[in-house]
Formats: sequence, C-alpha cells, structure tokens
Amino acid sequence: METKGIVFKGNSDGLVIVIPEDYAWEDILREIDSKVSGASRFFKGAKIKVTYRGSELTPGQEQELKRILDEKSGAVIESFSREEAKTPAFQESINVTRTVRNIFAAVSSDEGNCKFIRNTVRNGTRIDYNGHVVVLGDVNPGAEIIATGNVVVLGTLRGLVHAGAGGDKDAFVYALKLLPTQIRIAEAIARMPEEHIPDDGLIRPEMATARAGKIIVEQL
Amino acid sequence: MGEVIVITSGKGGVGKTTTTANIGTGLAVLGKKVVLVDTDIGLRNLDVVMGLENRIVYDLVDVVEGTCRLKQALIKDKRYEGLYLLPAAQTRDKNAVTPKQMIWLCNELREEFDYILIDCPAGIEQGFKNAIAGADRAIVVTTPEVSAVRDADRIIGLLEAQEIRNPRLIINRVRPDMVKRGDMMSIEDIVDILAIKLIGVVPDDENIIISTNRGEPAVTDNKSLAGQAYRNITRRVMGEDVPLMDLNVPAGLLSKMKKLFGFKSA
Repeated sequence: METKGIVFKGNSDGLVIVIPEDYAWEDILREIDSKVSGASRFFKGAKIKVTYRGSELTPGQEQELKRILDEKSGAVIESFSREEAKTPAFQESINVTRTVRNIFAAVSSDEGNCKFIRNTVRNGTRIDYNGHVVVLGDVNPGAEIIATGNVVVLGTLRGLVHAGAGGDKDAFVYALKLLPTQIRIAEAIARMPEEHIPDDGLIRPEMATARAGKIIVEQL
Repeated sequence: MGEVIVITSGKGGVGKTTTTANIGTGLAVLGKKVVLVDTDIGLRNLDVVMGLENRIVYDLVDVVEGTCRLKQALIKDKRYEGLYLLPAAQTRDKNAVTPKQMIWLCNELREEFDYILIDCPAGIEQGFKNAIAGADRAIVVTTPEVSAVRDADRIIGLLEAQEIRNPRLIINRVRPDMVKRGDMMSIEDIVDILAIKLIGVVPDDENIIISTNRGEPAVTDNKSLAGQAYRNITRRVMGEDVPLMDLNVPAGLLSKMKKLFGFKSA
C-alpha cells in the first residue's frame, strides 16, 4: 500500500477514510471509487458508519463520496461525516473489544466469527470467545459462556451466560429453554424470576435482549 | 487382560466405597477374579466396609514406594474366592502417590485380575487425579440431590477431559416415596442433566448401614433391596442387559398388617 495514498482503516463503528491533505478532489474521487469497487465483496451486507479525516471536504463532496460508497460498496452506509477531533482514534475497553480486524470484516451484531460447541457444556467449563457462540447441547449449572457476540443454545441453558461481553448492547441470548443461573448482556446483569420456570416439558424458545440497561426476555 | 474401572462422584458420602465393595463382591461371587483398590489415602474406608481392616500389613503406598512386593500387600478375602483388596495407607496423604505410579500399578494388576475396581476419594484434586490415571472405564455415583448432581456433572467433565469417555451412572439412595411426592429429583431429571447412560439405581436401604457396620457387603443379602440392585448392576458391568428394578415394592401381607396397626413398613 502506498504510504501517500488514501488509506482505509477500521474502528469499532466502521470505516475511517484517511485522505492526505494535499490530494486533489479528482484523485480522491478516483481512488476511493476504485478501492471501494474492488472491495465490494467484503463490504457486502455490512452496516457501517464512515468517517474521514485529513482533507477538508465540502458538503457537496461529502455527498458525492457517500453516493459512491452507497452504490459501489455493497454495504449500508449509516452515516458519512468528518471525524470529530476530540474522538480518540481507539477506545480502550476493559474487556475484550470488538475491534474490526481489517477493513473487510463486517461489523454488525448479526455477523462475525462464531464458535460452535457440539456437546453439552458441563459444570466447571468456561468458554471465553471473541465472537458469537452456538452450543449444540445443554449448558449445565456451573458452566460459563462469555462471548463478545451473541450466544445461542440449542438446548437448555442453565449456567451463566454473558453476551456482548465487550460492551455490545445489541447482543442477544437465545435458548430453547432459558433457565440461566445468571444472564448478562454487555453491562446489564439479571437472574431469572422465580415464576419463570413452568417445566411442563414443552420447549419454549426464548430470546433475551438488553433494553435501556435492563434485560428482557421474549418468547419466540 | 483385566479391565480397570474407577468409581467416582465428586461429592463425598454418596456411596462410592459402598458401590465398590458391592460390585466387587458381586463379581467375585459370579466367578470373576477381582481386586478392589482403595485410593483414599489418609481416610481409608474400603477395608472397614469389607471387614478386612484387621488383616492389613502393607498398603498401596508401600507398594509404589517399593517397601514391599504387590503380592504381599494384596489381602485375599476368605469368604469369596477370587476377591482381593489393596488397602490405602492411613498415616500418609494423597501426595504420597502419583498418577504415573497408579498407571504402573494398574498395568501390573491387569495381568492378574479380570476386574480392577478403583475406589476414588471425594474431590477433584490429587486423590481424584491418581484414581483416574490408570482407568479404562468410569462409574459415576450420585444421589438424587442438587449438590451431588452438580458435582457429578463437574466430574464427568473432568473425566471427558482425561479421555475417559462414556462413564456410566449409578443413582444411589433413591426414595421412591419422596420422588412420587415431588420432594426428590426423579431418575429422568438426573439423567437429563448429566446426559450419560444409567447403569443402575439403588434404593435407600437400612440394610446398607447394617452391612457396612458388619463388614459384609449387602450384595450377598437376599433380603436387601439395595443388595438386589447391586446384583443387577454387577451383571450390567459384565455386559448383561438387566431391566431396572421396580422400586415401588408392592406391600407384602406382613407390611400391610403393620400399616393397619400404624407401624411404618420398611
């Protein structure tokens, strides 16, 4: 990659386009167009916020670039704006952060690396994963599933689960039987209410999400 | 070549030693050559339950340290042909033996015996690690109580990590009357959580206490329900398909009479 060209960088929200200060508008247009067209396969389906730094762009120029990205990248461009000076380039997080590894990784709550566990997770086991976790079995009491992404249990979830462990409030927990000892989504923690357990043997899939810092459970 | 089976549980007091003694005796009664190995160093009980404590000269630690030969430490049970005991040491602790030594010991015993039953101590530390080191198979014992089942689940996870797959489950001290009332976990509840194959269910039976105190395993007692359960388990260990006992014992005339007069039946 030429050091003097336009550079695409990733951050936890999406894409940062670094435009060298002395670049001419036609060159900016041309380079971004070709870069994005070449990378459309990787951007496909992503929802990204795009910011730029370096050169100053007029609102008209910003619109033009957004249009190119909209048309050619294959991603849904949530916003296109100049990076705010006071926003730090990286945000340190106490836990594992969901940093975009390279500009081609999609950044929504519905995509990403996934770990499949093909057996029952027993008491004493701790699964710590940067991504989504799918368990093809039960999670027994005393077991812990900590994921920066979502957690799906195709069985009975009776242990401790932490989805969005890196701070992603949009993460969810889904289980065929949701009976965790404790459930955590991003910063929110909850335990299941006493009356929750009907246990008449019927399978009632449920999904837990965090809304305004509280965890709510819905039957699906 | 013999088979090494470790009997473990995690939780203490659920019936590992009782199970080891009864299955071992049961196998010997059916003509097999069996050795029972007590690995609960420092808190040995298998010798007491078998009624052989007065005959201990050498123990497991003496053998692995080379103080004596293996044959010298084995106690032959005079009541049952083919049944031997290798007792634990009482004045040492579990660090006196290493997993490597246990593997060596199990290999030696495999040459001589059809079945080597290892009585595992409670817990998940050195004692447990020693006990499972040389094992081919495992039997996990639990009672129908939440804490015992939790510990059993942990143990099964540790066994799987040590490549001892498909352990079999014994649910001990079941009280059918309590299960019926919903006061005790059912067999289905437990198997659902632990997700391993059941090899037997043993009812809670006063005769176990009596037989332990006497040093005579209940498996030889025809009047004991628990004894019958252990006889069935013994046959399943040998590969036979024996249906599970119906624990809801129909009342005999005597117990019906007892009930009439307000006495509790057994």
